[in-house]
This record gives sequence, structure tokens and C-alpha cells, in this order.
Amino acid sequence: MSDDEKASSRRGVLGPIAGLGARAATATLRPIVGVAGAAAEAGLSLERRAVNRVLESDELERVVVVAINSVHIQAALKQALESDGAAQLIDSLFDSGLIDRFLERLLASDSLWTMIDEIAGSPAVTAAISQQGLGFADQVGDEVRARSRKADDWMERAARRLIGRQPKALPIEPDASTS
Amino acid sequence: MSSGPVAPWGEVPIGAPPREALSYVGLATRVVSFTIDAALITVVDVVIGVAAALILSLLHIPHGLRTILTAIGAAAFLIGSIAYFAGFWSATGQTPGARVMQIRVLTADGARVKPRRALLRCAGVILAALPLFAGFALILFDSKRRGLQDRIARTVVVEAPGPSIADVSRAKKRAIREASRQPPPALPE
Repeated sequence: MSDDEKASSRRGVLGPIAGLGARAATATLRPIVGVAGAAAEAGLSLERRAVNRVLESDELERVVVVAINSVHIQAALKQALESDGAAQLIDSLFDSGLIDRFLERLLASDSLWTMIDEIAGSPAVTAAISQQGLGFADQVGDEVRARSRKADDWMERAARRLIGRQPKALPIEPDASTS
Repeated sequence: MSSGPVAPWGEVPIGAPPREALSYVGLATRVVSFTIDAALITVVDVVIGVAAALILSLLHIPHGLRTILTAIGAAAFLIGSIAYFAGFWSATGQTPGARVMQIRVLTADGARVKPRRALLRCAGVILAALPLFAGFALILFDSKRRGLQDRIARTVVVEAPGPSIADVSRAKKRAIREASRQPPPALPE
């Protein structure tokens, strides 16, 4: 008897036994798998509920604030931002042309210009600009007035010195607390 | 800087110091004020002159008439300038330039300058300018900082502090806003 024939006769005997074993194992494990699946489902649901609760709680906000205020985290962030990796990341971002494309698309957008027109034409913005202009004019006016008053005194003193007359006494500055 | 108190006419604007604190204004401030006025007059005259020249260029005008028109233009410029100063001095005591510099022309006793006196002051300005502006140099030596024109017209130039342009604009806007907020008066039944 050749080896092949021996192997096939062995498979013929063991095959049904193996099938029987597999079926028995499947039947035995089915409840266990079912229970495990249900447990996993319950676990996932619990996890989702836990995450939702954490997200809705004030604790998360507090943790985030504490984390942001943390000296260690700030130092780590600073270190990360100052690192070569961050610089390379920024370089690669610009090299990729993504920002150029973004700007091109943004500038080509009619909505952007409509929005800019709306903002520029809004009464609040025009009022703010005119107010700023007036404020600047006031500042210039104040400066010119102050300098011209000084020039008045200076010219008067110089003229009086020129003709040999006693310069006029300067006025006493009014006390701010009494005015 | 101050050479003595004066009692200016009219209302003292909100935020202005008391009348006793007002003082006479010197030469430099008055020169700046006059420069602003001169610039304003020049701009207006240039605009009018260019417009008149454009209109006249469309018409065929003989040479003699052109000379007469030029003389009329010069006279109009002089009269306009005098009217500008005399009008503002007698109306509010302040030309636009004086308003920017916060100064005011008053009579020696602090009253409003009347039109006749304002015209006299204009003549005084011309007289003061004729001898190489020597008439204005008197401002440097006079105890009340009066020039020749002030002595002739018996006027003084004093400080007239007032609210700034931005303050006025803000106050106007606030008044408009408050007026729009108030409910309309109820109609009689």
C-alpha cells in the first residue's frame, strides 16, 4: 500500500469524527459567543454613555482649562512649536500649494467680495472710519495748537530780548486739581 | 502766555474753561490761523476761476473785454476775501482757521465785533501788511498782543477753547440716537 492510499483511508475514517467534533464544539460555543457578543454590545453602549456624560459634564471643561493652563503642557507645546519638525511641517504645508489653492479659490469666490462690500458699506464700519479720521484730525489740531502756543511765547521772548526789554513773566499754569 | 483776563461774548462751549482763564493769542497762532483761511480762500477762488475761464473760453471775447473781465475777477477776489473775514469776524468771531486754532476776535471789552468794525479791521490788516508786515510785529510787544489792525479796530484775539470736531460729531450722533429711541408723542384723542 502506497503512502497516498494510507492517508486517504485515514481521512475517510477521521473525517466524520472531525466533523462531529466541530459540530459539537460549535454547539457548545454558540451560547458562549452569544453571551460574549451581548456583553460586548453592552460594553459599547456603556462606553458611549460614559463618553456622552463626560462630554456633557463641567468636569471636561475644567480639565481642558487646567490642561491649557498647565505649565508642563505649555512648555511641551512651546517646545513642539519651536522644534524643527514644526518648521518642516509648515514648510511642507506651503510647499504643497494647498494654501495657494485655498487663496486662489477664496479670491475667485463672488461670495467673498459680496461679503467685503457688505462690510465696507455697513453703517457701523463707515461710522468707525469717519470717527477715526476725525479723531486723527483732532490729534493733529491739538498738536498744532500746542506748538503754536509755545511758538507765540518763544517769539515774544525773542522779540523782547532783541529790543532789550524785560521778557514778560510766564503765566502760572492752572492747577489741574482746582479746575 | 496769558496777558490778562477778558470777558468774551456769547456762550462758552461745554467743557471750556471759565471765561477768566481765556488769554490773548500771539503771533504764531494767528499766522497759522490766517494760513488755513488763506488756503481755503485760494482753493475756492481757484475752483471758481477755473470754472469761469472754461466758460469764457467757449465764447469769443475781444482782448479789451478780457482785460476788463480780469480786473473784475481780481476785484471779486478782493471783495470775496474781505467779505469772508468781515463776515466770520462779525458773525461768530471765528473764521474756519480761527476755529481750528480755537481763537476768537472780540472787541476790547469782550463784545461781539460788529460788521463795521470788522470791515475796519480788514482795512487794518491791509495797512499792517503794507510796511513789510511790520504792523503785525506789534503783536510781539503789546501787552494784550494787539497788532495794528487790533489797535485800529479796538479788538483783541483771545483763546476760545471748544469741543473738538470728533466730540461734536459724537455728540450729534448721540443726540440723533437718543431722539430715535424716544417714543413718538401720543396723538390727542
